[in-house]
Amino acid sequence: MSAPPEQVTITIDDRSVSVPKGTGLVESALQAGIEIPVFCYEPRLGPPLGACRMCLVEIEGLPKLQAACTLSAQDGMVVRTSATSAQAADGQEGVLEFILLNHPLDCPDCDKGGECPLQDLTLRYGPGTSRMVVQKRTFDKPIPISPLIALDRERCILCYRCTRFSEQVAEDGQLVALNRGASSIIATFEDEPYRAHFSGNVIDLCPVGALTSTVYRFRARPWEIQNVPTVCAMCPVGCNVWATTREGKVARVLARNHPEVDGGWLCDKGRFAHDHLRAADRLTEPIRRIRMRGLVAVPWEEALDAADEGLRAAGASVCVAFSGGETVEQADALSRLVRQGLGADVALLPDDPDPALDAFRAPLAAIRSANVCLVVGDEPVLERAPIVDLWLRAARRGGAEVVTVGPAGAIAAPPGSAAAICAALAASSPPEELRELARDLREADRVALVWSGDDDTGGRHLAGLAAALELGEGSGAYFLPRTPNGRGVAQAWRAAGDGRGIDPSGDEALGALIVSGDEALRDTRVVALADRARFVLTTAMFMNEAAGQSHVILPGTGYLERDGTVVNLEGRSQRLRRTVEPPGWDELAFFAQLARRFGVDVDPWTRAGVDELAALPARSGTAPVVAAPAARGPQRAAGAGGDFELVRYRALFSGAAVERVPQLAFQRPAAEVELPGGDASRLHIATGERVVLRSGEVSRELAARVNRRLAPGVARVAEEHADGLADSVRIEKA
Amino acid sequence: MAPRHVVFELAESADVTRLSDYERAGGYESLRKALAMEPAQVIEELLASGLRGRGGAGFPMGRKASFLPKPDQTPKPIYLAVNADESEPGTFKDREIMLRVPHQVIEGILISSYAIQARAAFVYIRGEYLTEYEVLRTALEEALDRGLVGANILGSGYSVTIVLHRGAGAYICGEETGLLESLEGKRGQPRTKPPFPAIAGLYAAPTLINNVETLATVPRILALGGENYAKLGVENSSGTRVFSLSGNVARPGNYELELGMSLRDLIVGIGGGVPGGRQLKAVIPGGSSTPVLTADELDTRLDFDSMARAGTMLGSGAVIVIDDRCCMVQLALRVAQFYRHESCGKCTPCREGTRWMVEIIRRIEQGAAGQGELDLLLNVCDRILGRCLCPLGDAAAMPVASYVAKFRSEFQRHIDEGGCPFRGTSSLEGVLAPVDEHHARARARIEVPA
Amino acid sequence: MSELRDEIHAVARRYPARRSAVIPALRLAQERYGWLPPEAFREVAAALDLTPAYCKSVASFYDMFHLEPVGAHTVEICTNVSCALVGAQRTLEAFERELGIRAGETTRDGAVSLRTIECAGGCGWGPVVAVDHRYREPVRPEDVPAIVGELRRTTGGA
Ligand SMILES: Cc1cc2nc3c(=O)[nH]c(=O)nc-3n(C[C@H](O)[C@H](O)[C@H](O)COP(=O)(O)O)c2cc1C
Ligand code: SF4
Ligand code: FES
Repeated sequence: MSAPPEQVTITIDDRSVSVPKGTGLVESALQAGIEIPVFCYEPRLGPPLGACRMCLVEIEGLPKLQAACTLSAQDGMVVRTSATSAQAADGQEGVLEFILLNHPLDCPDCDKGGECPLQDLTLRYGPGTSRMVVQKRTFDKPIPISPLIALDRERCILCYRCTRFSEQVAEDGQLVALNRGASSIIATFEDEPYRAHFSGNVIDLCPVGALTSTVYRFRARPWEIQNVPTVCAMCPVGCNVWATTREGKVARVLARNHPEVDGGWLCDKGRFAHDHLRAADRLTEPIRRIRMRGLVAVPWEEALDAADEGLRAAGASVCVAFSGGETVEQADALSRLVRQGLGADVALLPDDPDPALDAFRAPLAAIRSANVCLVVGDEPVLERAPIVDLWLRAARRGGAEVVTVGPAGAIAAPPGSAAAICAALAASSPPEELRELARDLREADRVALVWSGDDDTGGRHLAGLAAALELGEGSGAYFLPRTPNGRGVAQAWRAAGDGRGIDPSGDEALGALIVSGDEALRDTRVVALADRARFVLTTAMFMNEAAGQSHVILPGTGYLERDGTVVNLEGRSQRLRRTVEPPGWDELAFFAQLARRFGVDVDPWTRAGVDELAALPARSGTAPVVAAPAARGPQRAAGAGGDFELVRYRALFSGAAVERVPQLAFQRPAAEVELPGGDASRLHIATGERVVLRSGEVSRELAARVNRRLAPGVARVAEEHADGLADSVRIEKA
Repeated sequence: MAPRHVVFELAESADVTRLSDYERAGGYESLRKALAMEPAQVIEELLASGLRGRGGAGFPMGRKASFLPKPDQTPKPIYLAVNADESEPGTFKDREIMLRVPHQVIEGILISSYAIQARAAFVYIRGEYLTEYEVLRTALEEALDRGLVGANILGSGYSVTIVLHRGAGAYICGEETGLLESLEGKRGQPRTKPPFPAIAGLYAAPTLINNVETLATVPRILALGGENYAKLGVENSSGTRVFSLSGNVARPGNYELELGMSLRDLIVGIGGGVPGGRQLKAVIPGGSSTPVLTADELDTRLDFDSMARAGTMLGSGAVIVIDDRCCMVQLALRVAQFYRHESCGKCTPCREGTRWMVEIIRRIEQGAAGQGELDLLLNVCDRILGRCLCPLGDAAAMPVASYVAKFRSEFQRHIDEGGCPFRGTSSLEGVLAPVDEHHARARARIEVPA
Repeated sequence: MSELRDEIHAVARRYPARRSAVIPALRLAQERYGWLPPEAFREVAAALDLTPAYCKSVASFYDMFHLEPVGAHTVEICTNVSCALVGAQRTLEAFERELGIRAGETTRDGAVSLRTIECAGGCGWGPVVAVDHRYREPVRPEDVPAIVGELRRTTGGA
């Protein structure tokens, strides 16, 4: 660790404050308890812009007012804000007057009213009277820049926060400024929708009511709402969020900056998918299959009796399938019911990360300060753990070497070869194409290793590489699980003790199958198991998914309705807070009751949570039978003719919740197949053209998209468009 | 006094646009001389010459060059950016320099690059200058063929490439950091300073930025010797400048003069004064962004200090002569319209302030303004001055404020009489500015057959 | 259309960073299309690994890029102070009369677009008119019919 930075002392409005050298003036003033008003300044967007001029201050010795946001504290500096300098006060009033020249005075019906920085600063620093004789600029009233975001150009004060986010943080390059000077406007290309994983952040960033959420617009006024701090459980990152509730309903989700986890950003799934809680097909009552009558709503007690009866009949021939979105407490209750109460020992875990990697844990924020970042695996990081993609971009902007090795990597590697790559990089003489990377990894002070693939053993391979590189302080290795709390669920299952194993891989009848959650219910392996089960007990939020083969269905809860603990990909335990009431008993309460009937004492409340969880025993040495998806071995791409190796990925904007939010439909993966540049031109296929993918009897028609980063012989499709296709496909023009 | 030519000296008696002719006239001798010196010695010569930047700000070139880190002090390459964006209204000197002594411009670029050990020089030439670009390109090709540019120049071991980069129509790209942004392929919006370009300029690497005329002077300084050059002109304003004379004057054009001559020498003596028996009303002495001088101030000398004492600036050396037919309110409107059109839109006071200025001046011009609006205009200028991110806002506020200060009664008459006292006879009556035309265009879309 | 891509790549190689080639690339595209239709932005973006939105954002900052169709010929008249003082407005009006359109418009046959521009850097020889980007200095009202005639002749078959 380097020496602590030198302290400097500056005077602001006659108050003296000592800060580390290099601290920004805005932050220094804050330390002295003085607010310097800002609009464009937002350190998370990169270097200060100095554009809005709201932060003008007087600095002794300098003739002109200075933009405080662009300066840092120098020893002996004497700063005067509007509180003690008439010149600075006039500067600020002037800037506000200029801003208001165009800004409509429609605060009463503006969605931002009441939580608007412009409104606040106008009250504090603004001119008392209006001297404006100009025609304000007029534009069409809010235009949608996507189904999620409305833009009211009349209100825009051109602080460029939104465009800087798009260009310099998410690097999606879609939201831009057009024209020059007073004619400048914020726009997308040809009014096409702003379609990018992080688009919603611009709503948070906008200091006025120019960019608003179409989902939240007019749903609530700031004084009628409550903001509940919780954690997003939509992916394994676990961004910290505020859930805004009004009259017992979740009205919106906002970022709640955790500097080590999310840096204050939120993906659009986390921000907008909350409306799935109100989906029309949401289950609110227990349902039971009754002979001759089909599925019938029943009272809770009756459902409990039916579950009890079905499970008792199954004996130890029980299997449980998790979704990976359960809280640790829910998973713990269900695991103990199954393992201790029923004496069964088989689970389908959506994730079972190898704990070997725990020796190299580091906060996600460590990625940003790494010198070299390596990403291996077949899955796009952006789709699996979106915030990790932002950290990697931040690292690259900061000068780090960020290298992806895989089917779409800067270094091309066939699908399924991540383990081999880790081994090769760890070896004393790596192959030619990896030699330079291996050297850089060894020589770097701080390294970040990321595994973004479907193989649960990835953690072990990555740990092997981390050990070979002798990673130390400041470095980290990260395995990206498939599901939000897959890691915590696996840990809870392991900790619940051993029962007697059965073999789920056979085809004999299964006594009972417990399906926990909508995502498990969509797993094809679970569907196959259900066919063999005499009794199926399901918890699910939505009727569509649940109907199928279930005998008893309990209405499930969403993460915003749960209290409990989730473990994110870093291994960090975070607390979920119930922001709104679930429609009935939650899963924890139900399984606790059921467990008690089988002689297992499970607390129906979330316990101390985080603390207790930390004490969970590490996974036991015994090896219970757990079915995990089979990892794909490295294969050579055929490449010749129109034969491709198919890589599928699970799109971020997929799953039961996303499908129930109509505004998110445009974010779902397009029905297209990505093809490598060389292969595409050889087959004379251009972006946008229709192609047919064939394997055996199955064929699918999709639009082609040329992706020059894709390795030769590899085609990539989002899982939902690859239904039924094998790993090897033939592709030709439709 | 016969004008002493330095910049145009070699072109005085012959066409030196071709390399062979330029060399015959002594061209590229200074480059040879420089390459035989240590880079630091070249900078010493520049310091000794007292050469101040000819682009507008008048910063001593040698000092600016000495701010750059030496190659062993920075891991980054060092660059030279040549400001050939010449867009300040009234200015057309760099254009003539590029057309008449293109090789001298290249030679100046090479010597300056050598002085700072630049790896590459980028010439940012305004997009409208098509012929000038072609002339420069031809000259560059000749120089490349002769081994004067590129690897191991004249066997010296020093290598530098020169890239000609055409702009696309934006005045703000003449501002040095706007220029850098534009050169990086962005919207040409200025950057906040610090960091200064000398430390983090083009691609965040140390960059020296100089005007065409400044650089074209450099070979002549090496030929004359810095101290000899410093003897030309007056104190704090050494050497010559190419003045662009335009407006209501009998013989407009570019004139290279030693610094320190008076406006009268230039306008009356050389330019032949105001034609058609008209009276001189005002002079814009250094491009449209500089405060105006009245006919009474014609004896002000054309050097940095004298101009500053008169409350104005030498700027880009563009002298615009205005006769008594011109309505000063219309002048203010046209100048404000220009800056509004060219404001980049990044910072609030400039973007909104220039817009507001235009609106107020238009009301005054039309006779629709109330009594308080003249002071409102001055106050708006005040609230722009010194508060913007780059000097463009000042460039709008300073001249307009000076028109009001020096011709206040004329402004006041518009308000009192409810209209222009010139009654449609002003030389600027009804002039259509692009900002206004653009508004009209937005309303009337045109259809063109494909 | 792949030649445009190759041309852009050739220009891009002159710079330390590819993005610097945006303006030259947009100019190449404009030379090809006469203006910058959405397709042009897509092509430039693809060649330089940028987004079309980014390229349009850059183009819209600069006056010389046409975001709407223009005529086969362009006539641009400087109306900044120096030119205005020596009669630019009268020259402009002469063009408007001769072409039958207002500044900012294009003739019905798509032959000529007329517009005003800010200082072109020819102030000493004003009024400056740029005809197809070549300066004519000075252009007085009486010179206008000949210029328009010349333009009309060269758009015969176009
Ligand atoms: C708004 C604005 C426009 C400018 N335009 C030009 C220009 O067109 N040409 C130029 O050489 N300098 C221009 N400058 C000055 C440059 O910023 C810079 O000072 C100059 O290029 C430095 O070169 P010099 O030291 O050789 O003069 C402009 C400055 C401002 C603020
Ligand atoms: S839309 Fe909002 S964030 Fe974007 S520039 Fe305008 S005011 Fe700033
Ligand atoms: S004012 Fe017209 S070219 Fe300068």
